Parts: sequence; structure tokens; C-alpha cells
Amino acid sequence: MSVIILRVAAAMYAAAATSYIVYFARPRLARAATAGYWLLAAAFAIHAAAIGVGCAEFGGREFFSLRGGLVLMVWLLAGAYLVLQRRYHLPTVGAFITPLILMVLLPAMFGDPGHPGVPPETLRQKSVTIHILTAGLGVALFGLAFAVALMYLLQEREVKGKRFGALFSRLPSLDALDKLNQRLVRAGFVSYTVALVAGTITATAIWKSPWSWDPQQIISVGVWILYGAMVQLRHTGWHGRRYALLTLVGFVVVLGSMVTLRTVPGVTRHAGDYAGSAHTGGAQ
Amino acid sequence: MNGDRRLFLVGLSHKSAPIDVRERVALTGDALKAALCELKAMEGVSEALVVSTCNRVEVFVHSERPDAARRFFTERSPAAGDHLYAKDGVEAVRHLFRVAASLDSMVVGEQQILGQVKEAYGLASAASAAGSYLSRLCNRAFATAKRVRTETEIGRGATSMSQVAVELVEKIFGRLEGRAILLVGAGKMGALSAKALAVLGADRILVTNRSPERGLALAAQVNGSYRGWEELQRLLGEADVVIVSTGAPTYVVTRESVQAAMKARRRRSICLIDLAVPRNVDPACAELSDVYAYDVDDMERVVATSKQARQEEAIRAEAIVEAEVMAFAKEREARAALPVLAQLRRHAERIARAEAERTLAQVGGKLDDKGRKSVEAMAQAIVNKLLHGPTSRLKEAASSGDSALPGAAAELFGIENEPAGGERREGGAEGAAAAPGAGPVRSQGT
Repeated sequence: MSVIILRVAAAMYAAAATSYIVYFARPRLARAATAGYWLLAAAFAIHAAAIGVGCAEFGGREFFSLRGGLVLMVWLLAGAYLVLQRRYHLPTVGAFITPLILMVLLPAMFGDPGHPGVPPETLRQKSVTIHILTAGLGVALFGLAFAVALMYLLQEREVKGKRFGALFSRLPSLDALDKLNQRLVRAGFVSYTVALVAGTITATAIWKSPWSWDPQQIISVGVWILYGAMVQLRHTGWHGRRYALLTLVGFVVVLGSMVTLRTVPGVTRHAGDYAGSAHTGGAQ
Repeated sequence: MNGDRRLFLVGLSHKSAPIDVRERVALTGDALKAALCELKAMEGVSEALVVSTCNRVEVFVHSERPDAARRFFTERSPAAGDHLYAKDGVEAVRHLFRVAASLDSMVVGEQQILGQVKEAYGLASAASAAGSYLSRLCNRAFATAKRVRTETEIGRGATSMSQVAVELVEKIFGRLEGRAILLVGAGKMGALSAKALAVLGADRILVTNRSPERGLALAAQVNGSYRGWEELQRLLGEADVVIVSTGAPTYVVTRESVQAAMKARRRRSICLIDLAVPRNVDPACAELSDVYAYDVDDMERVVATSKQARQEEAIRAEAIVEAEVMAFAKEREARAALPVLAQLRRHAERIARAEAERTLAQVGGKLDDKGRKSVEAMAQAIVNKLLHGPTSRLKEAASSGDSALPGAAAELFGIENEPAGGERREGGAEGAAAAPGAGPVRSQGT
């Protein structure tokens, strides 16, 4: 059932993406941007319903798999963009974000929902919920920053190279994109920090130790340091092209590690098997 | 009944006349008002409009004959006679629509002309020179211009160097609040660009020049503050937009100086605009990261591209104008329905009255006052009931622009020999647009 609702949501995402792309191609059609916004809002709501129904159906365990994680993450990404759109009114960004959402969602839609089941008793606590939600939101914000950085780099190439093509007339100024990128990185970092704290609390509770050299832990701390460094670098004057490139690298690391850790069996206990107390996490 | 009127246009523009002819016939303010009154007073002229800008002087009259408009020019300057163009009917309507939509402008798609035409219409209205015909015509022209502006991209892109500078700077920095512009050298183009950049709201304008006198003068002109030439290096660290236009034969801003400045400004982006020929900014500066450097050629290329793009959009705009001209013509034609309706009603009422009188003459003696009134009322009621359907249908036809029905009605009821019908057939498409039934329409006070 939840898969069907998710497909409806995906269809709405596709419609929103189409509207935003039409707006991007024909900026005079302001209505296309408005339509894109409301379609995206509808998709977000339907997606929320799909997640809710999914929880009831599969018992919530799916969020520990790659599929469930991605579904949750793009939902948060859509929500983050909706907030961004309300605050800064950047409909052209929608043409970059909505296809990204769709691309991430498509494999999840036809994939196996994993091993349904209720998560073990030990995992049913608030800190886990907070951990999952804030980690997802953090990654979603990093993803949004990635899209904005990409727009920055594409446009910077045009402005600097004196080729004033399609992007030139459609994107916000370089300065605006740069500042937005910075804000998104900062917000994502805050959210990610909360996720790590919640994760540490959980780990202490169920594994009896906050740190167990789990690859997921190592990479998470690495990502946290990377984005923390980016927040700091900003104060030393880093900006523009170099900052945008760093944002791209950061998100590639995040996404790459997410996929690797979830697809290589047994590499991390975060994959859904939390029973063991040592490094014996089995395949999901 | 008035004679048949149509729209006549006589005018000259940047395309047909040199500036010294244009300036001799151009009018503003009170002189323009007087001219409008004068035109209106001429024989056969019912309405007049004068569009007078630095690029064109055009006189539109709604009149029986075209000579009034021509006289306007020849009286003011005999030399103007050789440069005039004249149009009438649909041609004149199309011309006004194209002018308002900025398709006839020197820079196609420029924004000012619509305001100027609106102002001309406002003056004509105020001087009671514009009546119902010109009011409909002008409003349609304004609507057409608006459609062109929203449905095509004819106004897009910078068409002058200073506009290009504004676009570039806006693309890099957005607004300029909290930022500084630096003018290096007292060249005219530099001052123009600095003035244009004022729309982005820069906090400060700094000026530096080799000779302090000219530098100070320029600083006063652009509301900036003058700094000594020896401070240039420090100023490069301070300003975000640098416009260079000196007469120096060599690079005034070198790669090394920009590199040093970037360090001083902690790599904040800088935009260097070189308006000088020979160039004053080393092109190698553009290789540095976060440095955006443009020279005259780059800017010219942008201008050429957007002019080209506007030409392409103009083709789409012409199609919109054509559709609007046709719609206007059709509307005018449909207005012929209203005189037919009035004639039909007059015709019917005449018959009813005659018949009632005849009846009363025969039997009136046997009736009291109340009885006589009843007979008259009955005749009137029959007319009203019979004409109710045709009336509402003809009104509908008039408002929807259908022109076939009024003609058919005129023929059916045998009232076709009156002026409205006859003229229309004779005038063909052109007459239909500008003039059909102009007399009867006006006489009915529609």
C-alpha cells in the first residue's frame, strides 16, 4: 500500500519537476513556478502519508535500510526546499532540486522494501528517532547545498568566461548563491551535530560504548569534521568557487558512504541488524 | 448626418528625417496643447492626437480629409514636406500599434515609447482633442504594447555598454548595498556607467584620476569622493566594482596589482570593467580566481547579441500587432450593428405611430382619453415585443464582434440604403477598420 502511495507521490514530484523545468525554459511563465511549488507541496504531503503508512505496514524497520533512508531523506529534502522557496523565493532552484528528488526516489520505488518488521525493543526510543530524522535532515540540507553549489559553478563559468547563455538570465546572482550555500551548509551542520549527539546517546545505551570503530561512526565523524571545517573556513574568507567545489566534494562523500555502507553486507551495524554487541552485524 | 471619417496619419521619424528637421517640428507642453486645439478646429477634423518625442513627430487625425495633418507640418517647417510619410485606415492603426509596442523605435523594444504615447494621449484627452474613436484606438494600442511586452522577450537584454555593465555587476553581486564602486580615470563612458550603476544602490563611489582637477570634477558629477592617484593599489583592495577608462596607452591595472589586491581583500570577488581603448586592464587578470574582468569587446558582444535577440523577438511581436489590428478592425465593423438597430427601431416606431394615428382618426371620436391612450400603448407594445429578440441579438453581435448579422438585418428590414451599410461595402477591408459607419455611430452617441 505504501509503495502505491509513494508512486503517486513520485508522479506528483514528476509533475512538479516538469513545471519547474518549464519555468526555467520560459521564465515569463510565472504560473509554472507557482504550479511547481504547489505540486511539490502536494507531493510532500502524499510522500508523508506514504512514510506514515509504510511505518504501519513494515513496522518502521525500513528506515534502517538504504531504500528507507533515501525515501526519508528526499522527503526531508523536498520539505527543506519548500521552506527555502517560501523564504528566499528561488523558483529556478526548483528546476535543479525536483529532478534530483525524482532520481533518488525512482530506484526506491521499484526496489524491495527490505525486511519488514518491527525494530528490536532496544531501538524503540526517542534518541533513535531524533538521530534518524536529524541525520536525514542534515544530509538533505547538504544535498540542497550541493545543488546550489552546482548552480554557482555553472553560472560562474558563464560569467567569468563571458558566455552569457541560458543560465545567465535565469539564476540568482553569484553572491546570492554563495550566501545561500553557506547558510545551507551551516544549517546542515547543526542538524548533523544533533544527529551525532543522539547517535552517541543511543550507542552508549545499546552497545554500552559511545565509540566502537564502526565504519559508519568513523565516516560520520569524518563528514562532521569536513562540514565543520567548511563552516569555519567561511570565517577565514573562503567563498565562491573554492567553497562551492568543497560543497560538491562534501556531498559526494556523504552520498557515497551512505550507499557503500548500506550495500556492502556486514560492514556496519547501522544496516539494520543491531542485535550483536560487537562487530558481528550480519547482512540486512 | 456627419460625413464619413477615417484615421489619417502624417508624420516623420528618425527613419525618415534628420534631427534638424525633427527638432523644428517637435512640440511639448503648452505648444502641443495649442497645436491640438488648432488641429481640432480644422474643418472636417473630429479628433486629433500628436505624438512628439525626440525621435518622431506624428499627427493622427480622425477626419474626412487627410490634409489637416499634413498642414500641421508644412506650416511649421516647409522643409519637413520632403520627409513626411502618410498612412490611413488600417495602415495608420497598425503604425500606431507598432510605435506603442516599440517595434518602430531606434532601439527595438525600448521601454520609454509606450509612456510617451500614453502621455500624448493624456494631453489629447485633456485638450478634448481625443474623443471616443481615439480613446478606443489608443487603449487598444496600449493593450497591444502590454501583450508584446509580456508575451515576447523583446525588452530583454542590455542594448548599451552601461546597461551591460549593470547586468554584469548585478549577476555577480546582486545589489550593491554595502559595496563600493571605483572609477579610475575621468573618461566619459566611465562616468556614464557609474551613473547607470547607481540603480544597484552602491554605498560609495570612489574616483581617482592622474590629474586631481578632472578627478575632483568627476567626483562631484557622480556624487563620489576623490582619492589621490597614488592610492590606487589600496583602492583596489577596497572597491568591489572597478571601472577603468583612462587615456593611458598601457595597463593601469596589472595582474600583479590585482593579485596583491585580492590578498588584501581576503579574496572577496572583484569586477573589473575596462572601457578604455587601448586597454587599461591587463587581460591576464581574468585568469585569477574570483576576478571578473571585461573589456570593451566583451561588452560590445553582449550588446550585439541582445540586439540580435530583440530582432528575432520582433517577428513574434509583429504577429501580435497584426492580430490586434485585425481585432480592432473587426470590432469597429461590428459597431455598425448599433446604427442598424437604431434605424430598425425608428423605422418600426414610425409605422406604429402612423397606424395608431390612422386608427384613432377613424374611431377616435368614440373613445375617451383613456381609450386613445390604450390604442397608442398597444401599438408601442407590439413594436417592443416584436423587436425584443432582434434587439438583444444585434447587441450581442455588436459586443462579440460579429459583423454579418447587422448587414443581414439591414437587408431583411429594408433599411440598407442608409449610409452605414453602403459605405462599409464600398470601403473594403481598409475602410472597415478605420471608418465604417463612423458618422452614424457618433450620431447615436454610442
